[in-house]
Amino acid sequence: MTAGASGGTLGTAPAIPPSRGPLALPARIRASWSERSRQERLALRLLLPMFGLVFVVATVPFILAVIRAVTSDTGTFVGADNLGRALSNEQLYEAIKQTGVYGLVFLPTEILLGLGIALLVHRTVRSPLVRAAIYVAAMIPIVIPQVAVGVVFRLLYIPDYGLINVLLGQTGHDQILWLSNPSLAMFAVASVDVWQWTPFVYLIMFAGLQTVPPESVEAAQLDGASSWAQFRHIELHYLRPLLLLVLFFRLADVLRVFDHVYILTGGGPGTTTQFLSLYLYRIAFDFSDLGQASALAVVVMAFMTALYTVISRFLPADTN
Amino acid sequence: MIQRMKPVTLLATIAVVLSACSSGNTSSSGGGNVTLTIAAVQGVEDTGLKALKPMYESSHPGVKIQIVEAPYASLYTKLVNTFQANDATYDLVMMDDPWMPKFGTIGALTPLEPLGISKDGDVAQVVWDVGTWPPPRGAVPPSEKDKQKQLLGVTIVGNVEMFMWRKDITPNGPASYDEVLANAKAQNKPNFAGYIIRGKATNPVTADFLPILWSFGGDVFDENWNVTFDNAQSVAAIKFLVDDLKAVAQAGPSSSDASDRDRIMATGQGYQSSTWPGEINTAVLGPGTTVTGKVGFEPIPKGPGGKGVGMMGNWMLGIPKVSKNQQAAADFIKWMLQKDTQMTYAQNGGIPSRTSVLKDSSLQDKNPYFSVLADALTAPPNWRPRTDQWNAVETVIGTELNKALAGQQSAQDAATNASKQIRSLMKQAGYPTAQ
Amino acid sequence: MTRVATRIVTWAVLVLTFAIFVFPLYYLIVTSLKTKAELFQAVPSLFPHDPTIEPYVSVLIARGFLGLLLNSVIVGLASTTLALVIAFAICYPITRLPIRPGLRGFVLNWALSLRFLPPIAVVIPYFTIVRTIGLYNQIPALILVYTIFNLPLSIWMLKGFLEQIPAEVEEAALVDGGNRFQAFRLVILPLASTGILAAGIIVFAFDWAEFLFAFILTATPQSMTFPVGVQGLVTQFEIIWNDMAAGGVIAILLPLVLMLFARRYVIAGLTFGVIREK
Repeated sequence: MTAGASGGTLGTAPAIPPSRGPLALPARIRASWSERSRQERLALRLLLPMFGLVFVVATVPFILAVIRAVTSDTGTFVGADNLGRALSNEQLYEAIKQTGVYGLVFLPTEILLGLGIALLVHRTVRSPLVRAAIYVAAMIPIVIPQVAVGVVFRLLYIPDYGLINVLLGQTGHDQILWLSNPSLAMFAVASVDVWQWTPFVYLIMFAGLQTVPPESVEAAQLDGASSWAQFRHIELHYLRPLLLLVLFFRLADVLRVFDHVYILTGGGPGTTTQFLSLYLYRIAFDFSDLGQASALAVVVMAFMTALYTVISRFLPADTN
Repeated sequence: MIQRMKPVTLLATIAVVLSACSSGNTSSSGGGNVTLTIAAVQGVEDTGLKALKPMYESSHPGVKIQIVEAPYASLYTKLVNTFQANDATYDLVMMDDPWMPKFGTIGALTPLEPLGISKDGDVAQVVWDVGTWPPPRGAVPPSEKDKQKQLLGVTIVGNVEMFMWRKDITPNGPASYDEVLANAKAQNKPNFAGYIIRGKATNPVTADFLPILWSFGGDVFDENWNVTFDNAQSVAAIKFLVDDLKAVAQAGPSSSDASDRDRIMATGQGYQSSTWPGEINTAVLGPGTTVTGKVGFEPIPKGPGGKGVGMMGNWMLGIPKVSKNQQAAADFIKWMLQKDTQMTYAQNGGIPSRTSVLKDSSLQDKNPYFSVLADALTAPPNWRPRTDQWNAVETVIGTELNKALAGQQSAQDAATNASKQIRSLMKQAGYPTAQ
Repeated sequence: MTRVATRIVTWAVLVLTFAIFVFPLYYLIVTSLKTKAELFQAVPSLFPHDPTIEPYVSVLIARGFLGLLLNSVIVGLASTTLALVIAFAICYPITRLPIRPGLRGFVLNWALSLRFLPPIAVVIPYFTIVRTIGLYNQIPALILVYTIFNLPLSIWMLKGFLEQIPAEVEEAALVDGGNRFQAFRLVILPLASTGILAAGIIVFAFDWAEFLFAFILTATPQSMTFPVGVQGLVTQFEIIWNDMAAGGVIAILLPLVLMLFARRYVIAGLTFGVIREK
């Protein structure tokens, strides 16, 4: 995200407050406030209240979850009881495993596919009309509500009646039980994600490719570089920040997946497609075990925070 | 441009104002104008209710009825949430009978007899019993033992699970599950399932399996809440489903729900299955069907022990304690119970609970299963275990059975795994489950 | 490979991909035009025999989903606007005023990390909060929750756009004798309008499709949104395929039209400000 001029800072940075010693801190605070430039004070007066409000509103549920996680259904404090119950349920680990597999296997698929198609279109399709048509087609999967997506794919995958099986039958093949076979069910559910989000990746990558200066590309081609080298050294350089950002957002979304899986398989067969979100839903609403659900929620939130801290190092440094 | 911002801000302001105005309670009872909000289950079960709405409104000026629908699982979640929120949105709630223990235990419903609803002899006793909490017979949850028995729900969909088969292929239906299997084996061929299994996880497969379980002499609990799902008879029943029946069933039964079963039957691709009355006219014999007049109905076949046990799944109407229109709601229920209303109800796709209506000759043509239903209700049929943990238990059973149907575990493992989980959750909930 | 062969293969791949991605939508539309009787055929057809718009009438009028559509619009507009206002109030100081890098990083990282939060994890606390302040089954509850979930995308998109505006432009306005607020109104705002619109449209599209919170926090059509209504058509005994498909098509129309009209902004938004014109 470094293309274009950065916002820049207007005004001066505050002077480093002196002193150590017992009275250093309050003195430091007082000194630092008055030392800050007018602009910085303005900035903080704008930022802190708004951000503070949002932060509080968004953090209250977390605190509530923590409280509920350590209380029983009748309101008494039970310490780590709920947590113990949550962690001793083997279905939790299965859910984590399935979510991990889902993310690790299918996320790269949609990124690579989106990138691949973007490259393909960028290099071989010149007609603006065709590009526009592709653009419109790519828009559609993004705006379809998950519910409708789940229904359409059900219509495609169910045994006997599903379109795919009908086609298989008519061409003389046995039908494939997409939703009943454990390994296929995962694939079926993932295919929905890939179908829905590859266009999203495509749109971003395609737009990113438009920013690559044609002169660099021409120069490389004149020098006899192959398509692959051209990609690796020129286009990838311009795409990297966007690629990373897309990866981030999609990773977050894939780990949270819920809606279409709920409609397509309900977590089945058995618990094969019972990802983390679905597992939480089951504990909270099918089992009505709100204590355990809250403990799980806290664990999940802590885990996500840790995960984010680790991978955020790879995010392109913002301009300062 | 700034000009562009202004319309957006204006729109947003309008939106916020509109939303503030529209967020008012719709059930107002001032000035004689009452709106009764009914939470109903989306699907075949509330067809009759929706047909009755205009009739009630025209014969009771000043009362408006708003029916809010939700599919089965969603309705349960919604009702539990609303009760927890002490929200007065709903004046009447449709509940499946296995939900009664939960709602009765949390005390969410108003006793109906003080509001003028009295038990009528024309309705089978089991119908009144299923709407009573704590239950008049069978195992009672420990926390409910000392509560006074009260009528909390009145049946408006008289549902008992029964059996259907293609009578154009074999004039007599199977009398026992042995015959079911034999017939299935004889009839099974490509594109024609010998038996249709409703095997989707949680509620669907459990609802389909329980009659088989009971007919084989097994059960989930005994009188003292000990788990018997892994005793010999129960395991035999599970084996029968996931081994014997599956071999002669449609492809991929673990993802089939009732709508799939109905479609298979209606398109002439299946020979027999269990069925709920509600499915019959709307789906099996509904628009587009190719099997009109070809399907026979009978009670659940007998198991090896010589017993055939039907399962009831009545839908009841209850009144939330926090509703602001208690008497108006009760009047509606009373009206629904009247014989003439029940006749109209039946003529419009509803399933009545009055024995005299079910046996009425004028309705037999369009509803060939009515008299079977009447007999099934007086038998009486079995009901699902009366525990507030039933939803969790059903989820466990449904998941393990589904796994077995998908070939991921054996019948014995399904029994063992399910029983283990049920024991731990019942103990956690305070039941005296010893083992 | 010869150039011609490459071109043929490439085009074949593109056409195939296009077909795969468009087909489900086609099938959705086809299903929405079928009669109930036709749904019961053993072999589903790729083209309706007796096309009818009855499912659409049924969904909008008989089932009353028109009201739900309106709710979706209200909730979407309000929460998008609120999120943008808040995001702007946060992004402006961060990108154009001196803020310690530590604080800046904290705010941005916090915003992005919100995106990693599975909504299901916070559903119960939000339900408790909503219930306690008496907003259960009221539209403002949804607006509140959606606004918070809109923030990550809004903040990061706006940040990208605001960073594009050169400092000199604003300084010029200040030098010309205006105060900062005038500079804001007359210079920054117009230049950022692309970004605001872009972020707004994309955020609105996500709100439009949201299901879980709408489902948990609402109980009657007065506050229910459209996706909840459509999901309600998945019943145990009949899956009303045609009505549900009609619902799906209707749900696609509004965001699709929005995105079509605002193509430039959407592209700009999706690339977080890197690209401003097509």
